[in-house]
Amino acid sequence: MAAIEAHNLTKRYGTLTAVDRVDLTVEEGEIFGFLGPNGAGKSTMINMLLDFARPTDGRVEVFGMDCQRQSVATRERMGVLPEGYEVYDPLTGRQHIQFAMESKRVDGDPMDVLDRVGIADAADRAAGGYSKGMAQRLVLGMALVGEPDLLLLDEPTTGLDPNGAKAMREILTEENERGATIFFSSHILEQVEAICDRVGILSDGEVVAVDTIEGLRSAAKSGTKLLITVDDLDVVDLDAIEAVEGADSAWIDDERLAVNCSSAAKIDVLVALNDSGADVLDFTVEEPSLEDLFVEYTGGRS
Amino acid sequence: MVWQAIARKEVRGLIKPRRRRAGLALVALVFVLGGYLLPTTTASPETADLAPYLTGAVTLVLPLFGLLLGYKTIVSERESGRILLLLSLPHSRLEAVFGKFLGRGGALALVVTIGVVLASALVAYPFGSLQLGVMLAYLLVTLVYGLAFVSIGMSLSTFTRSGQRATAATFGVFFVFVVLWTELRAPFRIALDYLGLAGDGLPDWALFVYGLEPGMCYSRAVRAFFAGSEQGAYLGPDAPFYLGEWVALIVLLCWVVVPVAAGYRRFEVTDL
Repeated sequence: MAAIEAHNLTKRYGTLTAVDRVDLTVEEGEIFGFLGPNGAGKSTMINMLLDFARPTDGRVEVFGMDCQRQSVATRERMGVLPEGYEVYDPLTGRQHIQFAMESKRVDGDPMDVLDRVGIADAADRAAGGYSKGMAQRLVLGMALVGEPDLLLLDEPTTGLDPNGAKAMREILTEENERGATIFFSSHILEQVEAICDRVGILSDGEVVAVDTIEGLRSAAKSGTKLLITVDDLDVVDLDAIEAVEGADSAWIDDERLAVNCSSAAKIDVLVALNDSGADVLDFTVEEPSLEDLFVEYTGGRS
Repeated sequence: MVWQAIARKEVRGLIKPRRRRAGLALVALVFVLGGYLLPTTTASPETADLAPYLTGAVTLVLPLFGLLLGYKTIVSERESGRILLLLSLPHSRLEAVFGKFLGRGGALALVVTIGVVLASALVAYPFGSLQLGVMLAYLLVTLVYGLAFVSIGMSLSTFTRSGQRATAATFGVFFVFVVLWTELRAPFRIALDYLGLAGDGLPDWALFVYGLEPGMCYSRAVRAFFAGSEQGAYLGPDAPFYLGEWVALIVLLCWVVVPVAAGYRRFEVTDL
């Protein structure tokens, strides 16, 4: 059974279409990164998963349960870090976790959770005095309560410093190893690249690509650039290299052979070169950054 | 149902700020003060005397604090985004509204109970007497009256996304119900007279409509139940039953249930 399944999911606000006929499946056990520029519809999509917003058309399910009609049942299996929340100012960090435990009907020591997200020392301070990063850790802690099957995180690293972002990634990896599916949105590419199994790119309310990062790279037009040092450039036949399937163009660049090709064609290029009698001494691969891919898929509006 | 968790959290958050605790204590203090002063006006006071003696103060203080407790519940959580945190957890919107009503209404009920019990004790000691049944009845009627305004406040809180508008509406309700209502009887009669529906006095159905306001219901119930009044257009011997104290009590109960239920229905169908 899929962790998340959206069919033709659409949300319109008046004449604005925030989410446009999205079909999306996230498998159980995946870490899925939901990527898109600000205003692409990521939060609207997540809000429909949580029943904060009702779809204009289509439907979305979590573990086979309708997110609107069985909203509470779906949220019982989720841990959520929403966007644009505010903590309960007068309540302490410990009371926040306690509240989440009471809500999810689990027993346990709130301190264990606070310890895990790294704010144990602030457990008995009013959360109104927390910094943005501490609040973010606190709400992540609330999301972790009860070992949810699905962690849903909207821009999880907002307000976190690099250490906090790293700790967040480590926790998400641990949760994933425990068996949880992780779905998070982000406009920060490095984070997605660091931990995601698969990525979906949302642009103007439409899903324009869903693939592994590797897959996105090899599918993208701006492919891999190979820079190869050979013992004798004279024996290299550029036409033969360009004839390799997946190779785009080949030229001599600063005493090295440069080849633009798809990611999958790298080895074929090297083999063809070997066949032509040239000895490969060294080579480097320049993969397009996720940023390049992102810009390509979203038409440069990031 | 995990609405208990919401109610508990609501109370925890509610009583934390000192200003809020002071406000709630003030409600109890009004009753206590009444219990302290009543014996100075009569030789052998009874518990029942407390009710009519306090009506003026109660119909000012309970609407004020009831509305204050209710009017921000939903709209401020919405404006700030705290509602997202609440509904990220496995709560339904019904539980959210019900839990909040319970938490806030419960806080008001607690201070009213403390106030009434202490006041009754002050009336009974040393020269008066305590009628336990009367005290409980008075407490019950007064609680219903107070909760009606928590309910009205909460419903105002669900009908708008803007805290400012909720504040304005709350002020409007307080002004119309508490300050203006008694002055409205004459214009109401003149208007009906103009339409050819009333003569020198208001007809019974118009009295019923005019008497729907919670404060009117409450003071009618107090006069009939605790002062034994059988006079006036509402409680006099010629008045129909639907102008009587029992119907007033039922109307009060409706004021507790209907506003918050309508507010919930509104809240349920909108996006956050």
